[in-house]
Amino acid sequence: MSRSIVVILLGALAVVGGMPRAAVPADPPRAVDGQAIDPDAELIVALADDTNNMDPRIGMGSIRSNYIRQVFESLVDVDAAGKPQPGLALSWRAVNENLWEFALRPNVRFHDGEPFNADTVLFNFDRMFRKNLDKWGIKDLPAATSYDKLYPTVARWEKVNDHTVRVHTSEPVAMLWDALGREPLVPKAYTIKHGIDVLNERPIGTGPWRMVEWKRKDSMRFERWDGYWGPAPLVKRMRFQTIPEGAARIAALRAGQVSLIEAVPPIDAAALGREPMFKVVSAAQKLGCRLYVNGRPRDKYDSGGKDGAFADGRLRLALNHAINRDAIIKKIFGGYALANASPVATVMYGYAAQEPYAFDPARAKALLAEAGWRDSNGDGVVDKGGEALTLQLHFPAKHYGQAFDEMTAAVAEMLKDVGVGVTVKTLDFGTLLQVLSKGTLPPNGGFTACRTSNSVDAEDQVRDWASLTLVNWTPFPPELLGLYQASRREVDPAKRLRLLADLQKQIRDWAPVVPLYQEIKLYAHSARVLRFTPLPELHMDFRGVALRK
Amino acid sequence: MRAYLLRRLVHALVVVWGVVTFVFFLVRLTGDPAAFLVDPTATQAEIEHTRRLLGLDRSLAVQYADFLAAIARGDFGQSMQTRRPALGLVLEHLWPATAVLAAAALLISTLGAIPLGVLSATHRGGWLDHGSRLASLFLQSMPAFWLGIMLILLFAVELGGLLPAYGSGSLRHLILPAVTLAAAPLAQNVRLVRSGMLEVLGEDYVRTARAKGLAERGVVYRHALRNAALPVLTVTGLSLGFMLSGAIIIETVFSWPGLGRLIVQAVPGRDFPVIQAGVFVFAVIFVALNLVVDLLYTALDPRVRLT
Amino acid sequence: MSGRRDLPALAGVAVIAAAVLVAAFAPALAPADPVRNRLLDRLTPPMWAEGGTARHPLGTDTLGRDVLSRLLYGARVSLVVGLAAVLVAGVVGVAFGLVAGYRGGWPDDLLMRLGDIQLAFPVLLLGVAVTAVLGASLGNMILVLGASGWVTYARIARGETLSLKEREFVAAARALGAPARHVVARHLLPNVLPPLMVVTTFSVARTIIAEASLSFLGLGLPPPTPSWGAMLDEGRNYITTGWWLALFPGLAILVLVLAINLCGDWLRDALDPRIEKGIG
Repeated sequence: MSRSIVVILLGALAVVGGMPRAAVPADPPRAVDGQAIDPDAELIVALADDTNNMDPRIGMGSIRSNYIRQVFESLVDVDAAGKPQPGLALSWRAVNENLWEFALRPNVRFHDGEPFNADTVLFNFDRMFRKNLDKWGIKDLPAATSYDKLYPTVARWEKVNDHTVRVHTSEPVAMLWDALGREPLVPKAYTIKHGIDVLNERPIGTGPWRMVEWKRKDSMRFERWDGYWGPAPLVKRMRFQTIPEGAARIAALRAGQVSLIEAVPPIDAAALGREPMFKVVSAAQKLGCRLYVNGRPRDKYDSGGKDGAFADGRLRLALNHAINRDAIIKKIFGGYALANASPVATVMYGYAAQEPYAFDPARAKALLAEAGWRDSNGDGVVDKGGEALTLQLHFPAKHYGQAFDEMTAAVAEMLKDVGVGVTVKTLDFGTLLQVLSKGTLPPNGGFTACRTSNSVDAEDQVRDWASLTLVNWTPFPPELLGLYQASRREVDPAKRLRLLADLQKQIRDWAPVVPLYQEIKLYAHSARVLRFTPLPELHMDFRGVALRK
Repeated sequence: MRAYLLRRLVHALVVVWGVVTFVFFLVRLTGDPAAFLVDPTATQAEIEHTRRLLGLDRSLAVQYADFLAAIARGDFGQSMQTRRPALGLVLEHLWPATAVLAAAALLISTLGAIPLGVLSATHRGGWLDHGSRLASLFLQSMPAFWLGIMLILLFAVELGGLLPAYGSGSLRHLILPAVTLAAAPLAQNVRLVRSGMLEVLGEDYVRTARAKGLAERGVVYRHALRNAALPVLTVTGLSLGFMLSGAIIIETVFSWPGLGRLIVQAVPGRDFPVIQAGVFVFAVIFVALNLVVDLLYTALDPRVRLT
Repeated sequence: MSGRRDLPALAGVAVIAAAVLVAAFAPALAPADPVRNRLLDRLTPPMWAEGGTARHPLGTDTLGRDVLSRLLYGARVSLVVGLAAVLVAGVVGVAFGLVAGYRGGWPDDLLMRLGDIQLAFPVLLLGVAVTAVLGASLGNMILVLGASGWVTYARIARGETLSLKEREFVAAARALGAPARHVVARHLLPNVLPPLMVVTTFSVARTIIAEASLSFLGLGLPPPTPSWGAMLDEGRNYITTGWWLALFPGLAILVLVLAINLCGDWLRDALDPRIEKGIG
């Protein structure tokens, strides 16, 4: 292992070219792409749901992120391809294996004028790792990402000067730049003075938009932050409007009452795309939807003394070969989804393409037979020792959208075709979480669910099988765990990429889950909206977006 | 009268206590919010930590005693998901959104039913009668979410944006959701008014009065209407619960930021304080409105005495 | 009563009878397996529309399942849920109402307050909670809808009992020392039931609609069981792109509910116009 290497990731300092947010002159432009624009217009974006919180510490789920990242920014930004870009940090590097350094962007201010500097970053690290909370008079709160638990080897952080921060670790943590770098940063003085509840309710960030009004479950209004360090938005005002019902979102777009809508069903996207008044755009997401099956050993869940029925890798491989992903993607998603055999989303750093699990029912049956499961009584369901192989499929209906629901029903039938009995158990998402957190999934249980990521680095998605979490029902065998840990410690980028690729290959062959599809998100907007480019991220970027006059 | 009111007050307290107690234990049967507040990649230890932060690791009896003591002080706790005071959050959604929608729907379904029901009764057997009965049956036979989507497609898209497809805050925004919510109760009330009217109009002295001329006819109609209004009142009092439940669906279809959607969305997240505060407010309104209905009943019908 | 006035009710009865027959003989009538999906045939329009085929007279749904077959099988769910939930509500409600009215005193107070509590509790919230605890199933759906309906029956039964109790024949039976069970079963119940018949018909109609609403909220039956409510709900996102998905189950619900309401109307006219006052 080479020591004290300087790591600058992926040309993070490269000038961004051809991006929607080209440099903006001091005087806001009156035209974009040769079309006169209306700088005082309001951009109305229809979203399926409102955020519950604006404090990034409470959670950065797929709905929240989109709101939070309009107001707050993180050290590491991303471009339209999902590649890391300088955000509130100009650069980051590993000074040595156990020491990371972030060079901060100067002359950045929060919406209330508070300067952004090294103290801000240290305060945020304190919150993320739940340290010094008493000193700052800040309450501990239930947080989605527990940094102290996920990165226990991060020892301390220090200010080198006003614009340089260093983080010391006791063991190498290869993706620390990403783990720390993607968390949106909140102001220090404002938070200490007013407390986290006010921060949550009236957030103040460094982002391109200031929040001016928030009517819960209804709308959030933003105004352009004129003190923004980067290219300011080309519209003065923006509104995120909650419209939960899909048909109503499309109706609102058609009626000209909103400018842009998210989560367009593929079939409507095709219809809207044919009309000149609308434009449909899409971006691959980090959201991967999978069938998880119980392969936990009996001592790792509320088992009643039985190992998970799918502990045998051949069974899981058989399930994988039973799924006709092409048909699902083509028919249910109108082509707007990806088949991805890697546990890592195609748009993440470190992704390595893997050999697809071919749709091959004969092979699936052969694998079942190899594992001892045959249809001995001719009832169409394979059995072993007088017991039939049934999957009790827990299905969180109405949580991930109609296409997901349709897909789950299709998957159930495909599994039946190779001789796996399937009983579908519909439950609400909250109840599924209860089952998973209490470990009461039955031995023959499984569930369809999706997993996304706030990170850029693949580590966030290969970590799923390392420790016993809600989604981990097939823990890594020792050799894979070792490989995973090695990839976490390897700071040399080239070597690490190789380790990650090897790990993805091995995970693919070991088949902990049945990957079903990776999401491609569809957006539709009126032709008045110019230069909107969707990101492979949980949020949308409206810097540089303009509205035609 | 005072004794009656006192008795009703005691009843009201019992009912509200029963409702909040029921909801307290019901929601706790469904699990707890800890798993919802952490990432899916959280471990058991992190979930336990969250549970402790929320005070959910205490025994059920302790939590219940705490809960009763707190609501006696008017404190429903902090919403676990939004970190806002739960009662404040509920009241924010009650007024104006839900209150305006429910009031509009109530007005449409009760006051709107009177002319329609009267016309139907006075034109008994005519095309007006058949038409209104058929329309009533039609409206009663359609699920609200379906009617709502159809109205949006018709008025917001096909008719070129005659009415907005979403949102709240103005009379134009109110029309579609209020009409959708009022549809089924309106249909029912039209039929109640019609038969109430027919019952009176069929009586001998009324026939005589009608024959005598217009002036008396006014009196008769007033009497007949009063007779017809009683069942409408009863049914309205009883169906307030259905109305609020129906509002949940209408709020979703019309993006209406009301109480129903707040409560229903709090359930998957197991946001106990919000559910409890929401159900409490709902129960209080229900009990109060039913008391009003009963008092109105006595005002309309002197035969009914308060006991 | 003239034949012409009975006509709508006769039509109603005919529709209901047809629905029952269809539900009973769904396996024989359905052209295809209602559960079996063929993704390749997804969203085939009805046979008379462009692109339709005679193999799927009413087209196929989002998974390529035959809409007609699902409609025929779906009648079972709608009818069973409608009837069973009302039966549960009716039996519980009448029993409570009789006890409350006959005994008076604290049982009366207790049961009536219980009814108030039930009415003051949002029905759909109960649905969400029950589904969360017990899971989504036919039985649980009946339980929720039944639980939310009993109060109406109880109130009417109690009211009727109170007035009957003072009538001569009941008073006489009580004076002669007939056991309470006998009085209730022989004298009260037969007289309480007729006015409740009308309520029952309307409740069945309302319950069938409620099944659709529960599906809308994600509380419907687990797939792939076909039900009209679930089909209507699945189709609502395809109104402009696959109109047949929602139209046929929507029509089916409309026609059946209309038929039941027509019968209810007739029954009410035939029994007593005053009954209507009690309908909740």
